[in-house]
Amino acid sequence: MKLDPRRVLGAMGPGMVAALAGADAGGVAAYSNSGALYGYGLLWTVPIMCLLLIVAQETAARMGCVTGKGFASLIREQFGVRLSALAMLALLVSNATVTLSEFAGIASGMALFGVPTYVSVPLAALAIWMLSMSGSYRRIEKILLAISCVFVTYVIAGFMVGPDWGRAFHDTLIPPVYAEPQYLSLIVALVGTTIAPWMIFLAQSNVVERDAREDDIPYQRIDTVTGSVVASAISWFIILVTGTVLHPAGIVVEGAEDAAAALAPLVGDYAQALFGAGLIGASFLAACVLPGITSSAICEAFGWERGADRSWQEAPVYRGIITAILALSAAVVLMPNANLFGIMMAAQVINGVLLPVLLVFMVGIASDRHVMGRYANSGAWNALTWFTIVSVTILTIIMFVLQALGW
Amino acid sequence: MIYLSQLLGNPVYDVEGERIGRVTDLGIATGEVFPRVTALAVEGPGRTPLMISWRKYVEDFDEDEITLKVVATDIRFSYLQPDEVLVARDLLNKQIVDTRGMRVVRVNDLKLSDTSSSQLRLLGAEVGTRGILRSLSPALESVVCKAARAMGHPIQERIIAWNYMDLLERDLSNVKLSVSHKTLDELHPADIADIIERLDPRLRGQVFAQLDEEMAAEAMAEIDDDELAATLVSGMEDAAASRVLSEMDPDDAAELVSELDYERAEKLLSLMGVKDRAAISQLLGYREDTAGRIMTQELVAVDEHGTVADAIAALRSLEEGFESVRYVYLVDEEHRITGVITLVELLTNEPETPLAKLATTKPMTMSPEDDQEDVAENIAKYNLLAMPVVDDDGKLLGIVTVDDALEVLQEEHEEDLQIAGSTAGASPDDRGGLLSQMLTSEMWVFFWAVAATICCLAAGALTGDYLQGLVVAVALPFALRTADVMARYAINSYLEYDEDDEDAPTLLGFALKGVAVSGVFAAVVVLVLKGMEGVIDNFATKGAVLFGADQGLMVDLVTDKLLLGFKVAAITCVLSFVTAPAYLMVLRNRDRAGDETSGAAMRGVALCVASLVFVALALVLLTGKVG
Repeated sequence: MKLDPRRVLGAMGPGMVAALAGADAGGVAAYSNSGALYGYGLLWTVPIMCLLLIVAQETAARMGCVTGKGFASLIREQFGVRLSALAMLALLVSNATVTLSEFAGIASGMALFGVPTYVSVPLAALAIWMLSMSGSYRRIEKILLAISCVFVTYVIAGFMVGPDWGRAFHDTLIPPVYAEPQYLSLIVALVGTTIAPWMIFLAQSNVVERDAREDDIPYQRIDTVTGSVVASAISWFIILVTGTVLHPAGIVVEGAEDAAAALAPLVGDYAQALFGAGLIGASFLAACVLPGITSSAICEAFGWERGADRSWQEAPVYRGIITAILALSAAVVLMPNANLFGIMMAAQVINGVLLPVLLVFMVGIASDRHVMGRYANSGAWNALTWFTIVSVTILTIIMFVLQALGW
Repeated sequence: MIYLSQLLGNPVYDVEGERIGRVTDLGIATGEVFPRVTALAVEGPGRTPLMISWRKYVEDFDEDEITLKVVATDIRFSYLQPDEVLVARDLLNKQIVDTRGMRVVRVNDLKLSDTSSSQLRLLGAEVGTRGILRSLSPALESVVCKAARAMGHPIQERIIAWNYMDLLERDLSNVKLSVSHKTLDELHPADIADIIERLDPRLRGQVFAQLDEEMAAEAMAEIDDDELAATLVSGMEDAAASRVLSEMDPDDAAELVSELDYERAEKLLSLMGVKDRAAISQLLGYREDTAGRIMTQELVAVDEHGTVADAIAALRSLEEGFESVRYVYLVDEEHRITGVITLVELLTNEPETPLAKLATTKPMTMSPEDDQEDVAENIAKYNLLAMPVVDDDGKLLGIVTVDDALEVLQEEHEEDLQIAGSTAGASPDDRGGLLSQMLTSEMWVFFWAVAATICCLAAGALTGDYLQGLVVAVALPFALRTADVMARYAINSYLEYDEDDEDAPTLLGFALKGVAVSGVFAAVVVLVLKGMEGVIDNFATKGAVLFGADQGLMVDLVTDKLLLGFKVAAITCVLSFVTAPAYLMVLRNRDRAGDETSGAAMRGVALCVASLVFVALALVLLTGKVG
């Protein structure tokens, strides 16, 4: 089949945005922690995660192309009220915790510049609230994306810090095993941050909004794959750099300044400012997008009015959910002595635990020939999705059991 | 009274109590206002789907089970009839249009009622919260309802009757509907346009395809968002799209065609009838936002020597779908306009009266190249219902009607409001909001905070004295506020005058006026400050002699650096006004290119530039003095 280069460029974008926004507060926290605690010991997760991310995002985009409907709409129409309520609850909890972690990211990023939490969080909450209510964050989207490109510096840093390339590639292909709850919870967190439920909803709604059709599927695939590969490459380098710089020095990442220290060999004293700017940019962008996606999905599932162009009178639930998520997140981060980095990590674990719930719905819809026609999931795709569901579930259970046993 | 959610999944037993399967769906006959349930869909053993007649076989039903009249072996299975709709498959959980409330809603449950012992009818679709609660759990519904009633806000059921439903995803055109059934295409085109704007893009196309061409054309013209309308047209098949365009008034069609990409527009035009194509092409020949673009050629023109009877005959011979007639125009042999007559004048005069006697001669006319806003303003000013548009020889080309003029005024008003900065968001809904108003009108505060911080830090890094930078920054608000005034000056001038107006000041005049006024203002401020410096100096030095030498340093800091700050601010102020013509030109260029400009963004740019200029100048002067 011949591809039209103009349409390739036209389809590009959403996947890239999702990829770069994926390097948000939680992502950076999880990757930095992995590198600092286990060196190269978690590098093997990156290629696997990349494949699973492609599976999830491609399925979402394909569902959007075939049905022209959002994921939430499909869940409601295929599974009815009760199961949609379950799915939406999972989405709400997962996205609210991610929003929370974005606020923690903004707070710790600003703290690197000396701005205290009780200043940065209320201001950021107000700004994000106004931007997401009016939908006008799209105007500054590009600026924020450009700022979060700072994390590309990890790639350069990766070459500067002189890692043990042989071992890095070895560990990428052959996983070392640690039977510790922390190791397992890190894997769950990595799954949660890489294949975040909100990215699935975002990918599908992007396709639906542009009314992409079946014949756009190949182009959507190109976008999905490039976005996922870029995102995975960045995360691989973050683990590599932190594993080379922080792990041997025995630095445990307990705050943003520790994570920023990994960039010191590259930019020296400016590491904190650079890392802080990137963290704020990516977190701010994600925090603007997340409440809107969540609220939009819930309203879509239950048939309530939604959209930034609807007033409080017209769409009280839509606006109410956004406001509630933001207020709650800001309030939690503002609690005295909140461990910001701990919040970011915990949010990713919750995300990972809830992911299988939504993936079950996804695989159910995507393999239904009544809905998807000849674009239904292939056997391989079903197997990979089920593999994600089952393995994350097993990991979660083992993690909780180990924790309960007091390991 | 029973709800579908209570029936689905219930076991079905035959007369001997043998279990046949479980309920999966109900079929309804669509011909009535409250349709009868005619069929029962059952999932039999081994997940076999079965369909049986409700009337023939159902003996009794309740919230727990359904019993049949016969034994399982006597049942004859049936098929779904063409006029039947399956409620769980086609209605439950689906989006429908409530054609009475004119909203898009999702069906949460279906309310059924037993009119006789075994006959069941569909009362309507439940779209409210109670349906959701009931589907989650009937117990939850009753608890929440009781709690709500106790609090004095009982939750009402929101039921939409079958005859006010339009099924979006299922084309009902094959289904025999009751006479009173109100579907989407019976609504007013403006309401259809509103509903379509609220749907997902794919559904928009599907719903649009269900409308007949005339309705589609009218609804298309009512869609406010030009881009959305263009996307809809791009999604249609060529033939259908060109038919819809032919149905539209030429001026609306021309506007739509101009939004399409060139190839597609050419293709659609080539598929249209010669007459329609000519009309649209002629309109497209005029520039955007001119009278020529929005005029219509559908008008009634009669020979100036005719009588009232001739004019009425001309009116009677008009074809259906002709644009509303407001006036009859008189023309000479060369089709030049010589007079205009209102319909009332025609009706109240004898048929044999010569038209020339009644007509208002030398009517107000405009040229097709005139700005659409001027045409609209003249229509308002002279209380007209339509404005004739004539070429240079006075030949009648078309008319601009009052409805198009109103639309122009509304558009321009919204644009102006946005540029004037009274709106934060793009839509008029979130125009309010005291907070966003304050944020946009007083945004200089934030620039001040950031610029003062930079000024303080940079001065500290360069001279070692952080205080100097801070004292200099005291004058920053002066520089910022005047930059804000400059941006408003440019915006107001843009809003007030049209570039081509004769009374509009030239760009040079505009620039000189700004620079001169700001220069005078800056000089006054600096002089006042200079005077104050003298006063401080006078008294403070005396104080310093009394209280010790340290005070002298403070005095130097206060008088010297403070004055320096104000001098920098004064220079920045004048420099801001020097750039004013650039802002005006940007506004005009963007307007010409058809882009919308946000006044707040303009002012933000001005503030940003002023902050940078101030900080840079202050640093140069500070370090210069120290070095």
